[in-house]
Amino acid sequence: MSSLPLSPADGGGRYPGFRTLDQSPHWDAATTEVVLARVEHPPGIRFFAAREQALAQALFDLLLAQTGEPRVPVLELVDARLADGETDGWHYDGMDPDPQAWRATLAALDDEARAGSGSGFVEADADAQRAILQRVQAGGQDDWHGYPASHVWSLWTRYACTAFYSHPWAWDEIGFPGPAYPRGYKNLGVDRPEPFEVPDAHPAEDPVSRGARS
Amino acid sequence: MTSVRDRNESAWLLPPHPGQNHQLRADMRRFADDDEIDIAIVGCGAGGSTLVQRLARRGWRAVAFDAGPFWDPERDWVSDEAGSHHLYWTEPRVIAGDDPVPLGSNNSGRGVGGSMVHYAGYTPRFHPSDFRTHTADGVGADWPLSYSDLKPFYEDIEAELPVAGEPWPWGDPHSYPHRPHPVSGNGELFLRGARACGITAKVGPVAIANGRFGNRPHCIYRGFCLQGCKVNAKASPLITHIPDALAHGAEVRADSMVSRIGFDERTGRATGVHYLRNGTEHFQRARMVAVAGYSIETPRLLLNSRSARFPDGMCNDFDQVGRYLMVQGAPQTAGRFDAEVRMFKAPPPEVSTEDFYETDPTKPYKRGFSIQTVSPLPITWAEHVAAQGHWGTDLRRYMSDYPHWACLGALCEFLPLEGNRVTLAEETDRHGLPVARFSYSQCDNDRQLMDAAQGVMERILRAAGADEVITIKRFAHLVGGARMAADERHGVVDRNCRSFAVPNLLITDGSVLPTQGSANPALTIMAVAARAAASLANREEE
Ligand SMILES: Cc1cc2nc3c(=O)[nH]c(=O)nc-3n(C[C@H](O)[C@H](O)[C@H](O)COP(=O)(O)OP(=O)(O)OC[C@H]3O[C@@H](n4cnc5c(N)ncnc54)[C@H](O)[C@@H]3O)c2cc1C
Ligand code: SF4
Repeated sequence: MSSLPLSPADGGGRYPGFRTLDQSPHWDAATTEVVLARVEHPPGIRFFAAREQALAQALFDLLLAQTGEPRVPVLELVDARLADGETDGWHYDGMDPDPQAWRATLAALDDEARAGSGSGFVEADADAQRAILQRVQAGGQDDWHGYPASHVWSLWTRYACTAFYSHPWAWDEIGFPGPAYPRGYKNLGVDRPEPFEVPDAHPAEDPVSRGARS
Repeated sequence: MTSVRDRNESAWLLPPHPGQNHQLRADMRRFADDDEIDIAIVGCGAGGSTLVQRLARRGWRAVAFDAGPFWDPERDWVSDEAGSHHLYWTEPRVIAGDDPVPLGSNNSGRGVGGSMVHYAGYTPRFHPSDFRTHTADGVGADWPLSYSDLKPFYEDIEAELPVAGEPWPWGDPHSYPHRPHPVSGNGELFLRGARACGITAKVGPVAIANGRFGNRPHCIYRGFCLQGCKVNAKASPLITHIPDALAHGAEVRADSMVSRIGFDERTGRATGVHYLRNGTEHFQRARMVAVAGYSIETPRLLLNSRSARFPDGMCNDFDQVGRYLMVQGAPQTAGRFDAEVRMFKAPPPEVSTEDFYETDPTKPYKRGFSIQTVSPLPITWAEHVAAQGHWGTDLRRYMSDYPHWACLGALCEFLPLEGNRVTLAEETDRHGLPVARFSYSQCDNDRQLMDAAQGVMERILRAAGADEVITIKRFAHLVGGARMAADERHGVVDRNCRSFAVPNLLITDGSVLPTQGSANPALTIMAVAARAAASLANREEE
């Protein structure tokens, strides 16, 4: 396993050599089973139909900037939740329950792309794809193919972020050590890493304000 | 005063290591459906578990039903955010209104222990003013109870959880049974920033034992309190009240969803509960019924319990059921530091200030807010970052900065409004029962509080040295929906949690709260249930 591809300008390589999975011998059995399943056997696709799968893959790659391998299996993790009915239960009045809303909004991505450039969303170039997402994000309460745009954006980002940041490779990238039972933490306080934590190699570089300036 | 162990032996009934007392569960007393038990309690959360423990101690034949499982933390819970999804109530619900409130992971639990299985663990008391906001400030409602009526029950529950914290200077000043915990980077920065701004902040109050309590081990500062404490350090009724209830002959009937309250048209009394277990419907006979299913499910169950006498739902003669539901405005403000905070280390609940809790006559709004540390784990943090509009490489770059952020949360006292309520939706769940439709709209006062709280959090973080601050607007802690009142035209139950309409029906969860202050509600819910149990038992046993 290697780390996820992410350029240093985008926050890659800040915790050199840090691998959450190296700590897995310190995890309890129930947790180990759940977390390793995400890494070792991403589930097969059961919910999305073929075209939906391609659309969802393109959408997730954009939302999470996953451009190459290895890749956190976001598509597979979201598909499993929808196939198993593992939703948050609630939905906005006027919005369908999540599984139907997913199918409808993925189809709408295609409709929107075709109306613009004539080709489907998957086939559109990256700039055209991004422009469509930006419209949804900026849409607020406006209708987007039958749903308020903000609810669509919330649906997509909620599922995408939950899947991505549930994965140990994503934790490596953000310096998060993952499960902490039964060992716990001993060094509490500002700038007090545990022996197994890796401090940020560029603490003062503040990619945040740099990002804001660019 | 009796010792805690004499009143509630739960902590001594657990094994001397993480895990459960399997023998106690195997030996649990079991009642038959056609035994007329003394009381059927719907929901084994904060309110329901306290009630069952108190009544079992008084010799009542009690069964507490829960729609979810009887958790075994070692086996069922994980030290992982996404893997904890099953702790939440994820049956369908519809949210509506001008400011709809997302539910799921953010709001309610299922299974024995209720929402306290995954609550953070803050356990502040309400202030005396919370019980009379209408008289004092012309907003909200007055309780048919005063702070002093509840005070002895606060003290009892604080000892049973037990609560750790510094001596508390706000509201009715008091101290806590356990010393304050050491603080992490997040708590340290909050204390530093508050000091620089002249704001008083204190460590606590958290329902996490500091030191051994009975057989419960010490906290290991692992930060996964919102995923269920596998260690048994953080209090939830699963370990603080249920063991003692079982030892005193109560039954916990898990995986049993109550669908309707039985009712006798002739006597006008509740007769027991209809419930679904493994796909079949049962009816448990009972002399009394108490509903404690959380502020959404409690009104839903009443509304779904229709009869000739109650065509619009049980206890709903005056259209009060489901109304005056409240959430707290819970904006979260995070600050960026060059130093590493690593806020995920240590329990998220650490430090609070209640300096802004009371009405400030110099401000245009009434009532106030509190501020506390919150320490989101990666998924929740990603939500915070994504809410700023970041996605793609922007999001990844922001997220890579995670160890540098500290995060505070406010709890703003939103006012109880008539139109904020639960009704039944057209949609039905997998049992064919209409689901709850929860509508919420804020008033001006609510919005002003959110802005004011955000301003104070930004000030504290900047004073601590943050060079950037970001805020996400969130909501927390639903209470109300079947409130207590002086009479049946203004509420559903009386000061002892007895319904006005059905003499042998009680409601003993967060639904009965008429106001919410800016305190986290669990301690108050337990204290109200303990008080209801005492008055019920005293009256019935006379
Ligand atoms: C993320 C999060 C953090 C929180 N942090 C804090 C905090 O730090 N401090 C604090 O004080 N509060 C906190 N809370 C809120 C607190 O947990 C709740 O307010 C409290 O537990 C509510 O108590 P209750 O008795 O009303 O309901 P619950 O504790 O939710 O119990 C209700 C129970 O009833 C069961 N039930 C519902 N309907 C039925 C039915 N029809 N049949 C059978 N069973 C049923 C449910 O399964 C559930 O177990 C937090 C909540 C969340 C979600
Ligand atoms: S931090 Fe402490 S209280 Fe919280 S889950 Fe871990 S051991 Fe339990």
